[in-house]
Amino acid sequence: MAPTEIAPGPPATLPGPPRVSHEDLIRRNLARLGWGFSAPALIVIAAFTIFPILFSIIVSFEKVNVSGSGFSFSGLTASNYSIVIKAALWHHALWFTTLYTVVTVLSEIVLGTLFALVLERLTGGRGPMMALLLIPWSLITVVSAELWGYIYNSSYGLLEGLFPNVLGHPFSATIALMVADIWKTTPFVTIIVLAGLVMIPTELFEASEVDGAGGWKTFWRVTLPLLRPTLGIAVLFRVLQAFGLFDLPYVLTTGGPGTSTESLAMLAYNTMFTDLDFGPGTAVATSTALIVLVMSLVFLRVFKAQVGKETPNA
Amino acid sequence: MRNRTRHGWRRWVNWVNFFSLLIALFVLLPMYWLVASSFKTTASVGSSPPQYFPIPVTTSNYQVAFGDYTFGRYILNSLIVACCATTLVLVLGILAGYALGRLPVRGKYPMMVTLLMISVFPQIAVIAPLYLIMRDLGWLNSYEALIFPYTAFNLPFAIWILRNYFLGISMSMEESARVDGAGPVRTLVSVIVPQVKPGIFTAGVFTFTACWTEFLMALSFNIENNFRTIPVGIATFGSQFTVPYGTIFAASVVAVVPIAILVLVFRKSVVSGLTAGAVKG
Amino acid sequence: MKPLLMKSPARRKGAPRRTTGSRILATSAIAMSVAAFAAAPTASATAKNASSVTTITWWASPISTSGPDLRKVLIADFEKAYPNIKVNLQTAPTDTDTNRADLVTTISGGANTPDVFMGDVIWPGQFGAHSLALSLTKVMPKSFFSRFASGLVAGATYNGQVYGAPFFQDQGFLYYRTDLLKAAGMAVPTTWQQLQTDAVTLVKANKVKYGFVWEGDAYEGGTCDFMEYYADTGGQVLNASDSASVLNVADVTKVLTFMRGLVTSGASPQAVDTFQEPEAAAAFQDGDAAFIRNWDYQYAAAQAKGSDVIGKVGVAPLPTFTGGEAYPGYSNIGGWNLYINPHSKSVSADTAFINYMTGTAAETVMATQFSEIPTNAAVRANPAVARLNPPFAVLAKTRLVPRPAQNPNYPKISQAIYTNMNSALAGSTSPSKAASDMASQLSAALGSSGL
Repeated sequence: MAPTEIAPGPPATLPGPPRVSHEDLIRRNLARLGWGFSAPALIVIAAFTIFPILFSIIVSFEKVNVSGSGFSFSGLTASNYSIVIKAALWHHALWFTTLYTVVTVLSEIVLGTLFALVLERLTGGRGPMMALLLIPWSLITVVSAELWGYIYNSSYGLLEGLFPNVLGHPFSATIALMVADIWKTTPFVTIIVLAGLVMIPTELFEASEVDGAGGWKTFWRVTLPLLRPTLGIAVLFRVLQAFGLFDLPYVLTTGGPGTSTESLAMLAYNTMFTDLDFGPGTAVATSTALIVLVMSLVFLRVFKAQVGKETPNA
Repeated sequence: MRNRTRHGWRRWVNWVNFFSLLIALFVLLPMYWLVASSFKTTASVGSSPPQYFPIPVTTSNYQVAFGDYTFGRYILNSLIVACCATTLVLVLGILAGYALGRLPVRGKYPMMVTLLMISVFPQIAVIAPLYLIMRDLGWLNSYEALIFPYTAFNLPFAIWILRNYFLGISMSMEESARVDGAGPVRTLVSVIVPQVKPGIFTAGVFTFTACWTEFLMALSFNIENNFRTIPVGIATFGSQFTVPYGTIFAASVVAVVPIAILVLVFRKSVVSGLTAGAVKG
Repeated sequence: MKPLLMKSPARRKGAPRRTTGSRILATSAIAMSVAAFAAAPTASATAKNASSVTTITWWASPISTSGPDLRKVLIADFEKAYPNIKVNLQTAPTDTDTNRADLVTTISGGANTPDVFMGDVIWPGQFGAHSLALSLTKVMPKSFFSRFASGLVAGATYNGQVYGAPFFQDQGFLYYRTDLLKAAGMAVPTTWQQLQTDAVTLVKANKVKYGFVWEGDAYEGGTCDFMEYYADTGGQVLNASDSASVLNVADVTKVLTFMRGLVTSGASPQAVDTFQEPEAAAAFQDGDAAFIRNWDYQYAAAQAKGSDVIGKVGVAPLPTFTGGEAYPGYSNIGGWNLYINPHSKSVSADTAFINYMTGTAAETVMATQFSEIPTNAAVRANPAVARLNPPFAVLAKTRLVPRPAQNPNYPKISQAIYTNMNSALAGSTSPSKAASDMASQLSAALGSSGL
């Protein structure tokens, strides 16, 4: 059941004038319609994102000083990037952010899919369960971070007896951040996967059961392949969000102990707004964007999500 | 028969319910701590060892949040901004997601990649130039200062998600609709869209939540108290040396309620349409 | 194939046909009309009236935590004294870095408001270098600056120009449990080494959970604590022109060894490396600590309802090192200044405002009603003020040390200090390695060649 584009082929048997031109007309009209449908969205996006992004990229290539009179540029340079690449702080932030992304996304995908599988079987309580699941996700990130900060607090936190100084060591602080993130974001994956599961026609499952396949076999052979595009989207956007990690470490650990939990976004923010070094700061941000972009493109290629690979007119 | 009705004690005691209970606990335990702490006095918030039950119970945190901090105004502002942005995102996103998914548009792969590139760019870096845009448009301290950037930054994700769900529908839909004599818009609205309700629900909830919890832009563009949103409001609680957990949690308990309502209201219409088996091959 | 345009079979008989779509439309229609209605009056609150009333905007984060709002009380007093000037208060975020980020975005974007903003004492170097504040030397008469206690104006100066008017000041004190010291027959310690011994004794005798709590986390407050210990060894951070580092690595090693020793000997809990003010204060107010180093608000907080140590708290100047500087030890200067937005359109009203806020009337209110340490020298010298509360009584006996904030790269300097201090405190690096790292990172920060 591989979806393809609307491409009605020419009818097989009738003689007479070739029908290709009429089909072409329909196609061209549909294409125009497609542009018409997409235009509003694209215009809004372009108006509010293109200029700021281009501006940031330009700033990253300039010696820039921010002052009361705005941004003053004094010469194109690549030195911002060389400063960034040589900085031990950036190396550590990159390593930390990557490790964090890999671990949390993996955990969330596995946990989220398991949750979705359970919930899909739930007949009566699915609605309330979904509402329940959305509560952590809908908590304002800063509030969720404050909640976990309160739980992990070294003076009056909940875990004081078991783990007295969770945020005091780089390793345990990292784990603490990951737990807080996983708690908050697994519902995101669960909802996406659940929506994908629900859209799979039940006949496919019934067919598989008629064939004598047990629960897990059905999952691996039937469910997972059908879920692949959905999971692909979930992974892709989770990776994008995880790489932009900011609120949690900013509130929970302020990048500490020392700078061991400073993520790339935090580094960019601190460089820009605390040190007032907008050149290197935007260089950090732009390089982060580039890294994530390359990762996503590679991921898309590898995963072969349905992004125009089978369309004849991509 | 996957979701067979069980009889007798198996109706309640079975592995599905057991795991659902575990999931519920996973979610609820930290939330209990949040809600319980919102009813604690300042002294009990900082007490060590921690008090598991708020004794004495007090609603002073709620009073402070709504009285001293005009939290009600912040909730209204957040509601307005999030609702408008979500509506815009869904309408524009459905159109674009459908077009880029099922219509023969040239250059859709580059388009999707460009959208990806846009959602990849860290928002931290674009705050300053966006501020300049808002200043030049005269939109500082207004609702549109947040609605339009939120729409612009959430559309890429919405388009990706919706497009994915659109592609999951059988191709023959448009054919049959055309046979019935429906134009493309009618086809989209009456035939295709009802099939992807879970996708729309997903995109809508995520957009709403993203707008509800966004901090950086709200902080930079809407400084005036009349236009502050919830996250910015919470950032003004307390003082330099105190973190008023009780008040923060009280405010966030109230802030979660609209989302919970939204989910319950819209979920029913989505799921009921599907379980009747409208998805046919 | 049956036509697909028939109605959805899921609709119950007789139920109204309300689809998700129409619900969305209804919600958005309501939301948009509310938005349009509420968005109409977007006129900024600083619009001038036709009469001669000027309105200025004051950007300030909350100062008092309970009771009447200090900012609103002072604004009311000011408006009574100056009926032609109205003050519009904008509450700033409580986190000082978030506060600064917001100000940088708005001021560099050319905004006219806020007109006056309350900023940290460590901002003059940075804000002066980036022209984010108006030079008060240019708009205030020379006599204005002589009203302040000594050293405060120097702290608000960059490159010969004064950028901030000291509004209220803060500094570190040593608070102790009078009941515990009395029962153990201990005098108030005057040296750090004595403090450590006393703390260990009390902990070992199970009189208290923690001996001495302070702020050792890797944040700006860590630099404050560090400066106090370091100044007690006689060390300096920057040279006289604030351009080069004169950090004495041997002295820093001494300080870091002592700090780490506090933890290893049991005087301070290991968790002190994640303590900021709230955690340390909570430990002290719960009765779990015998000594605490904290700002002046600690006394009032310990006497407030809900504290477990009401009536058992004493205040003293901070101790010093045996073999270091003479007693009393140095207290780090904290507090807040008032700055003027360089794009402000009502500079004369702003100067009148600042003049009033730092004048005797307002400063007396701050001291008497709100227990904030006044910056006005005349108010401080008033004997009645010294009797108001124990921290004020100790004020005259203390010695002050500022943070090296006259250099525009101060945030990086501070980061070099607090990250390495925290690292040594946590035991992740040895004190000598942390000290040399601190020195090299400090030099790098001054050369602004790194990230």
